[in-house]
Amino acid sequence: MCLATLEVFWTVIEVMMDVCNWDGTVSAKDFRIGALSFAQKWESLNSAFPPWSWVPCPKHSWLASHELLQEEGYLSLENICISRPNEEDIDQNSQTDPGEEETSCSEKEDDIDDATLVQSNHHELHYCDFHVVYSYTFRVPVLYLRAYCSDGRPLLLDEIEKELPACSSKELPETKWAFITQEEHPYLKRPWYKLHPCGTSEFMKLLFLGGDTAQPKLEVVLELYLLSWFSAVGQVVGLTIPCKMLNDR
Amino acid sequence: MAAESPTSVRKVVVHLRATGDAPILKQAKFKIPGTDKFAKVIDFLRRQLHRDTLFVYVNSAFSPNPDELVIDLYNNFGFDGKLVVNYACSMAWG
Repeated sequence: MCLATLEVFWTVIEVMMDVCNWDGTVSAKDFRIGALSFAQKWESLNSAFPPWSWVPCPKHSWLASHELLQEEGYLSLENICISRPNEEDIDQNSQTDPGEEETSCSEKEDDIDDATLVQSNHHELHYCDFHVVYSYTFRVPVLYLRAYCSDGRPLLLDEIEKELPACSSKELPETKWAFITQEEHPYLKRPWYKLHPCGTSEFMKLLFLGGDTAQPKLEVVLELYLLSWFSAVGQVVGLTIPCKMLNDR
Repeated sequence: MAAESPTSVRKVVVHLRATGDAPILKQAKFKIPGTDKFAKVIDFLRRQLHRDTLFVYVNSAFSPNPDELVIDLYNNFGFDGKLVVNYACSMAWG
C-alpha cells in the first residue's frame, strides 16, 4: 500500500475506533454545547414545561488549561410543581382501586401544567428545582434536585419519593444505574439530592452502541448526548421529553 | 415509512431485541395497536422476563417516555416496517 492510502486507512480506522472505544463520557466543553442545544430544543418542542436556563458560573484560575478557561455553568429548571392530585380528597374512606395506577407511569405532564393543577385545602403543594450539572470526576452530566413546600421547607427523600415514585429505591433498577444520594451542590454549596452518576457512562454506551443500526459517528454521539441522557434520566423524576425532540425527520 | 392510515386501525410491528446479557425472548415479535402507550411494551417485557428492572431504548439512542403512543414512536424511529425496541437488564456493556 502506498503511504497516502495507508494514511487514509488509519484515519478511517481511527474514526471507527473512536466510537467503538468510546467510554460513554463527554468533555466539559461538549457538555456545555450539548446543554445549550438541549435547552433550545426543549423550549421549542417541549412547551408543556417551562424552559431551562443556563446559569453561568465563571471560574478564575491561574492554571490556563483550555477547559478551565471555558465558561462553566449548569442548566436550571425551577419551581416545578410535583404534587399529584391528592387521593385523600377524593374519598377519605375508600380504598384506592388497585387496578388503576399500575399500567402507566404517572402522568407527570398533567401534574406539572399549571392550568390543570389540582389544588386542595388539605394537601400542601410541593415544588422541585432541577439542575443539570457537569461532573468533572465522572465526565458526565448529573441531575440534581431539591424539593420544598410552598413555605420553603425542604422535603426529605421519603417525601420526594411519594411525589416522584420512579426515583424510589424500590423502583429504580436493581443494578443501580441511577440511585439518589444527598450531596453538596457543586456551585451552590448547599445540600441537594442527585442521581448518582456512576452508571451513566455505561447506559450511555448502551444507548448509542447497543442498537442494531450502523455505529454512529462520534461527533453525532456528542451532539445528541444530552438529549439521550435526559430521555433516560428525566423519566426518573417525571420530566419527560417527546420523542420528536430526538428526531429531526 | 408508515402509511398514513387512521391510528385507531393501524397496528405496529414491534421487535424486541435483547442487548448486553439480557435473556432473549422466544416470542420477540408482535403487533400492538398504534394507539397503545409504550408502557404496554415495557409491561409486556417485564412480565415475559419476570423482572421489574429494565433499561429500554430504541435505535436512535433514546429511552422513550412510557406515555408515548406506539404509533408516534414507529413514525419517528421505525424502520423497515417495524419498531425495534432494545432492552437490557444490567448496565454492563459488551
